Amino acid sequence: MSELKICHLYPEVLNLYGDRGNIRCMQKRLEWRGIDVSIARVGLGDSEDLSRYDLFFIGGGQDFEQEVLLKDLKAGKGDAIRSAIEDGKTFLCICGGYQMLGHYYETYDGVKCEFLGAVDFYTKGGSTRMIDNYAFRLEESCGGSTVVGFENHSGRTYLGQGVKPLGTVLKGYGNNGEDGTEGVHYRNVFGSYSHGPVLPKNPEFCDFLLKTALERKYGGFDLEPLEDRFEKQAHDSVLAGVMDGTAGKDD
Amino acid sequence: MANVVKTMLAVGACKASRSALRIMHRGGTTTPGRLAMKIDSNILESVSRGMEIIVVTGTNGKTTTSNMIGHALSEAGRDVLANRSGANLLPGVTAEFTSSATATGRPRKHYAVIECDEGALKQVVPKIHPKVIVVTNLFRDQLDRYGEVMHTLEEIRKGIRLVPDAILCLNADDSLTASLALGVPNPVTWFGIDCPVGEQKNVEISDARYCIRCGTEYEYDYHTYAHLGGFRCPKCGYRRIRPAVAVTEIEKVSSSGSIIRMRFGTDGNADRAESADGAGAVAAASAETEQEVTIGLPAVYNIYNGAAAIAAYQAAGFDRSEVISSLADVHSSFGRMETFRLGEVPVQMILVKNPAGCNQALSYLSGLGEDYQAVFCLNDRTADGHDISWIWDADFEKVCGDPHMKHTFVLGDRADDMQLRLKYAGADEKDIEKADGNAELIEKLKQSSVPVFVLPNYTSMLSLRAALGAITGKQEFWKG
Ligand SMILES: [Zn+2]
Repeated sequence: MSELKICHLYPEVLNLYGDRGNIRCMQKRLEWRGIDVSIARVGLGDSEDLSRYDLFFIGGGQDFEQEVLLKDLKAGKGDAIRSAIEDGKTFLCICGGYQMLGHYYETYDGVKCEFLGAVDFYTKGGSTRMIDNYAFRLEESCGGSTVVGFENHSGRTYLGQGVKPLGTVLKGYGNNGEDGTEGVHYRNVFGSYSHGPVLPKNPEFCDFLLKTALERKYGGFDLEPLEDRFEKQAHDSVLAGVMDGTAGKDD
Repeated sequence: MANVVKTMLAVGACKASRSALRIMHRGGTTTPGRLAMKIDSNILESVSRGMEIIVVTGTNGKTTTSNMIGHALSEAGRDVLANRSGANLLPGVTAEFTSSATATGRPRKHYAVIECDEGALKQVVPKIHPKVIVVTNLFRDQLDRYGEVMHTLEEIRKGIRLVPDAILCLNADDSLTASLALGVPNPVTWFGIDCPVGEQKNVEISDARYCIRCGTEYEYDYHTYAHLGGFRCPKCGYRRIRPAVAVTEIEKVSSSGSIIRMRFGTDGNADRAESADGAGAVAAASAETEQEVTIGLPAVYNIYNGAAAIAAYQAAGFDRSEVISSLADVHSSFGRMETFRLGEVPVQMILVKNPAGCNQALSYLSGLGEDYQAVFCLNDRTADGHDISWIWDADFEKVCGDPHMKHTFVLGDRADDMQLRLKYAGADEKDIEKADGNAELIEKLKQSSVPVFVLPNYTSMLSLRAALGAITGKQEFWKG
């Protein structure tokens, strides 16, 4: 019997924007295939051994609460996260959780917050927020499917030389609204601005993450296909609205 | 002289454009106000001068709390100005006051109860100088419009700073709302619930888990709902203040309303921290009275709204017993909890627009203990907030796992997202049906053999209510 151990990092502080939906989606899609799944919530002050988990989820959060978080990262969890990344564990990191993996966040007023530096990129605060439904195509190395989601961020993220994005923006802003990239893909780390939540409407992306984690653990692994009628309907209707500019419009 | 002419022109233009819009059957809540403001930028100050005004703001319960206060004032024979649904931004509020004024721009009424959008408070209150400002609560709401809940809190604080004489009437159980009392000269009075409500284990607190003053995690003596309850910071001492208007026991909650026990006394003192054995509370208790109160609207959040209404009413200098007696027959407000009849089928509509409010509505359904059908309508237009991700934070699992839930319909711009949410909440795909528009939905609901509960968000509520109203003969809101 195969099993996936999911670790939800900082659920008490990084929990904006329907992040619970991503966890629920992974859990259900494993259960429907008869794969055992356990979900652990590891938060501030917890000194868990992170090496026992297969897949990590980090969500988005409010600015006020991120200070509490930086303290906790420095107190040891930061090192544990970096080793799990280098060890090839799968990470899905959204918005604030994604930014946290980079070198730093420089606010619009020029205040620099040192982050994990686990992946080579940085983020700068902007004067306006980039908010809307959007769509991007995943890199072939991330499955190549089309993802629809909702972005809401003032931070502009710039990837370092040779660091691959998660995908290419089809419509919307993505990392910075300038270079057409969205998110980051480094080892088995997948970072994105798409909260949405991103996984339920994008089952191929969800399955790609699950497969990546299962293969890291068991070697070759086949996920049996699921009946994804509702998933596809929700994906296709939002994608159509995003591409023709009608999504979220008042009539 | 020129000023009077300007005022008269503004009043005339506002009234004329409002009736024109009504003839064209549009709700028209902003255009007349904008027009009046353009002609006379001081119009709102002129047409509200000398009035006694209560303003209600906060994430959830603004409309219901305002209605409760307004209903009590009218029952007691006072002529009250109130703004109707949707008109809670500066232009809408301006239109309400202006169109009720005399031709020369003097107020015709002496009292007003105004619900005000959190972001618009700072524009509205310096012009109308309210006697009392009620803040019901703060939850995440419409994230793409305000950013985040802390930002909303700051917006309200900016408004309060502009009117240092206004009495603040605050929710004692909400650590976010309660922080509005810190560092302002305004007099403050409090309302809240003294006892635990519902499940006390595994309460997921997502909006305000950490002390707003020092960042330490709060401890709770008890929970009521979401992040509301008996909070205290173990480090800096920031804590719930024992409120002057409090619910001590919830005796009965049913689909027609609640019976509760309340105590009325004086507010605890924030500076003189009450000792653990309750010495402060004992001193206050000598002047306290207790009373049974009936609130003619179901669900726990209406108990909060009732407590807020009582606290505001007495803070504004009125006789508390007037509002208490009128709460028993308060009318459900526009779409917030309104019952229609489709032939033999009762259809109850409950507006939901964020996870906290939605969870309350879902608990209400799953606690009924009778068979029902549920309808979820989801739009993502400007007034709803374009971001619908909050549906993943609400516990649809409660209803999807309820054996009394017989069938569910989804409707609206984002019906596909809603249907997907219900699938992941554990509903059987064959029990989820997508309706193509209001007319089709209404036809299907007519066939129901069990009561129907409709949970729409804002703009989907407007269109469905209009369609239901046309069939059942209820008036459209701007005519009511
Ligand atoms: Zn504190």
